[in-house]
Amino acid sequence: MGVIVGPRVIDAGASLFSVLISPVAVAAGFPSPAQDYFDGRIDLNAHLIKDITSTFVVRVTGNSMEGAGISDGDELIVNRALEPKDGSVVIAVLDGELTVKRLRITARGVVLQAENPRYPDIKVPALSDLTIWGVATRCLHHV
Amino acid sequence: MAKPALMRSMPQIAHVDVNCFYASAERAFDPSLEGRPLVILSNNDGCAVTRSPEAKALGIATGEPWFKLAPRAKEWGLVAKSSNYELYGDISARVMELLGRYSAWLEVYSIDEAFLGVKGEPDQLLPLGRTIRDAVRRHVGVPVCVGIAPTKTLAKLCNKWAKNNPAFGGVCLWEAVPHDVQDNLLARLPVDEIWGIAGRLTRRLNVLGIFTVRDLVRADPVMIRDKFSVVLMRTVLELRGTPCIPMEEERIGRDQLIFSRSFATPVTTAEGLRQVLGIYGQQASARLSKHGLQAKVLTAFAATSPFRQQEQAYPSVCVSLPTPTADPLLLARAAHALLPQIRDGLKYAKAGIMLTDLRPSGNQPPLEPFENPHEERGIGPLLEDVSKRFGRGSIGLGHAGIKTGLDWTMKRDMRSPRYTTHWDELPVVRAA
Repeated sequence: MGVIVGPRVIDAGASLFSVLISPVAVAAGFPSPAQDYFDGRIDLNAHLIKDITSTFVVRVTGNSMEGAGISDGDELIVNRALEPKDGSVVIAVLDGELTVKRLRITARGVVLQAENPRYPDIKVPALSDLTIWGVATRCLHHV
Repeated sequence: MAKPALMRSMPQIAHVDVNCFYASAERAFDPSLEGRPLVILSNNDGCAVTRSPEAKALGIATGEPWFKLAPRAKEWGLVAKSSNYELYGDISARVMELLGRYSAWLEVYSIDEAFLGVKGEPDQLLPLGRTIRDAVRRHVGVPVCVGIAPTKTLAKLCNKWAKNNPAFGGVCLWEAVPHDVQDNLLARLPVDEIWGIAGRLTRRLNVLGIFTVRDLVRADPVMIRDKFSVVLMRTVLELRGTPCIPMEEERIGRDQLIFSRSFATPVTTAEGLRQVLGIYGQQASARLSKHGLQAKVLTAFAATSPFRQQEQAYPSVCVSLPTPTADPLLLARAAHALLPQIRDGLKYAKAGIMLTDLRPSGNQPPLEPFENPHEERGIGPLLEDVSKRFGRGSIGLGHAGIKTGLDWTMKRDMRSPRYTTHWDELPVVRAA
């Protein structure tokens, strides 16, 4: 069946079924030598998401962020709890829409930058004039 | 040694609930809805169940049928959304997860409100309330109000004040409200605004000259117990600051599981209901497996529409299962025990199943002869897997497995995307 069942599955109180196919429960024959080393597969949630409660996934439409490696159709992992800083890729609310931009906070003011020369920057008097919906932490780019 | 200040501080209760929950959950992902009148419609797009403040300002009442509002929606700029239960369920779970970080003592009271046990002096509790409010807003994106008081009833009351009175800034701490202001607010509050008081009880209280919450606070608790009930006496004591309604653990909400829906078009045959109950059995099985639970008792019920000019019927049946189970086939079969009571020709508008006597699965393996044959093959999780990947209704058991022609499924024509639970319905952000 090609199912790998490690000891953790049994700890989780799974059904009789998984106990039966588990290498641990098999009394006859050698247990798998890999058994002691199996500690679960790579869990992308664990590595890509720091705070699951405040993290959302959004999908990008348009190519104004190509320079940041964010293309049309890519997904972004967005943490709403993070404090936006100078240089953050943010989701900002512009004209009632969620928009992805690079946030620049300088002595001369606050700018929402596109990462594509064909799109103009948007100048904002102060950060408080902006509604920042969240801060992007990862781009799931389609290669 | 503990500090005297901490020893003096009594445990308090914070009541947190989301403002216009369904509407706020929609706005969290669609900022264009901000500031616009918005209503969320009940099952089958029947009537308005949640109204944004702007919709309330238009004079739209709770329960107003959509067909009456629709002709004027354009002129008002009114937006209507079908109930998006997947979204609300996830947002609710996120809010509760977050609240759990602020207290080990959390009672989830409903989809959008919770009680938290908190401790501290007023100058600590007020900032705590504000912290909670800001955190939910920032982490999950929905606005909440917080009421903090020595009792649940007062905490709920404070929350209401925080909602209706902008001066509180969304957080109202009972002990921080000056006595004359407390008195004034109670005197202005009709008695039916109190948790657990409604309808007939209000009229009976009015007869005794009890019209406002202040009247009730001043009533003799013993008289209230003798003339009404011990429950109402508890309310009076709670309003006076004596805790009488204990905190309950979150798991209490899980000791029963209910699946009940109204149909878009009535079901008129036992065969039709067989399909419905089969699907409920499947969904209930998935929910049980998810929580690692099994059920021992299943109740199935159906009801005709009370609004139709026709004969009424409310059949129900309670089945005790041979062993605790989460097996979809067994649950469906048990639910089918209702069918002999179904009379062809009557128009059934609603049906449901309720599972009670829930217990963790796997603790006590059933004796071999009673082992249910399907569980071993993992049918429940398999069905759930396929449904998740290919959509609800793509696979089913026996009579439930017909994909086309089910005319009773719920109507949700104006539903927004299920932003947080479905990969193909993610929120879209513009890069332009």
